[in-house]
Amino acid sequence: MPNLKDLKTRIDSVKSTQKITSAMKLVAAAKLRRAQEMAEASRPYSTSMNDVIASLAAKSDASSAPALLVGRPEVKTHLLVIVSADKGLCGGFNAFITRAARQVIAEKEAAGQKVLVYIVGRKSADALGSEIADKTFARVEGVQGTNVEFGDAESIAQKMIDGFEAGSFDAVSMLYNKFVSVIKQDVTHQSLIPAEVGEAEDDTADAGAVASYEYEPDEEEILKSLLPRNVATQVFSALLESSASELAARMTAMDNATRNAGDMIDRLTLVYNRTRQANITKELIEIISGAEAL
Amino acid sequence: MAETTQFELVTPARVLVQQDVEMVTIPGSEGLFGVLPRHAPVLANLKQGRVDIYENGAVTSSFMIDGGLADVTGEKVVILAQRAEDLNKVSAEELSARAANASEAEAAFLSAVSDAIA
Repeated sequence: MPNLKDLKTRIDSVKSTQKITSAMKLVAAAKLRRAQEMAEASRPYSTSMNDVIASLAAKSDASSAPALLVGRPEVKTHLLVIVSADKGLCGGFNAFITRAARQVIAEKEAAGQKVLVYIVGRKSADALGSEIADKTFARVEGVQGTNVEFGDAESIAQKMIDGFEAGSFDAVSMLYNKFVSVIKQDVTHQSLIPAEVGEAEDDTADAGAVASYEYEPDEEEILKSLLPRNVATQVFSALLESSASELAARMTAMDNATRNAGDMIDRLTLVYNRTRQANITKELIEIISGAEAL
Repeated sequence: MAETTQFELVTPARVLVQQDVEMVTIPGSEGLFGVLPRHAPVLANLKQGRVDIYENGAVTSSFMIDGGLADVTGEKVVILAQRAEDLNKVSAEELSARAANASEAEAAFLSAVSDAIA
């Protein structure tokens, strides 16, 4: 029979855990709103940038196009950027990224490529541990949450471009959690070099209008200065998406934890009350049988 | 009311300005140029400099941008800038406070901004 005092301590400890998880849920929810706003506010820039690059890319001929746009013909080494969180307690968020990273690394290696990784965020590095010890190209932490700035993305992108130009790797792709909704985040694998250029969304830019553009200084120069900036923009929006996803995942996880703690408290309270009642009954029986024996 | 053109100044973090303007001057990599309504379509690289918005023949607001791209069509001007500051809304103290814990590129831009408002 469980001891009443032990039960009481357990109930109290679960209650204080529940307080923590419900506070974390509220904090995550408040931050999520900001992160979502930031992700939305960044969209006009990346959309316009994509439109311009798409229209320039459609016109430039493949043989002379910059390597950042079309990539190198032979890929010997691949750089994989893994964006995870710095903190845990957010459900499967980090585990999904880590699993996807393992899979991509295995695929690339099966195709005979060497893989380097660029770790953004602490958790995936912890999880991958020694697997990536000899593959790490660079690491960066503290670029999560609601204080992501474009400067952070810029410095990450700059490091990639420097490495690409120095020939350390021939292609770059990025793994991150894309924010779909509060209960859904998708692990996304996106190519950065060569650039993944979507269709131009701006349908007012029909062929005739594009042809009459004047370029200053010229198309090639613009494309050349635009592509590194595009890499930074992509990294920036991935960081924002990942932050929003992390907070959403944490909110959901903490909501579940709070509910589970509630269930546990109910169950423990039931056991506690039964035990208390049993003890009282036992004492009564002892008194009555004692009295009868007289 | 004079004819106007739609103007947008967009940074990676947000849309900074979105309004109708009479004229806007833009620091192109080949030199400063002004855009009036029905300007010929131009795609131009920009360098660090001032963007001035004119209404009724006078400058109504000014921005400092840190390079970028201008996409000009007959009815619309879109500037994509990595960084931009509204020169009428920032103070020197605020800028130096932000420059203290900014990256090198950011700090260089912020000091250019404080030179411009001085």
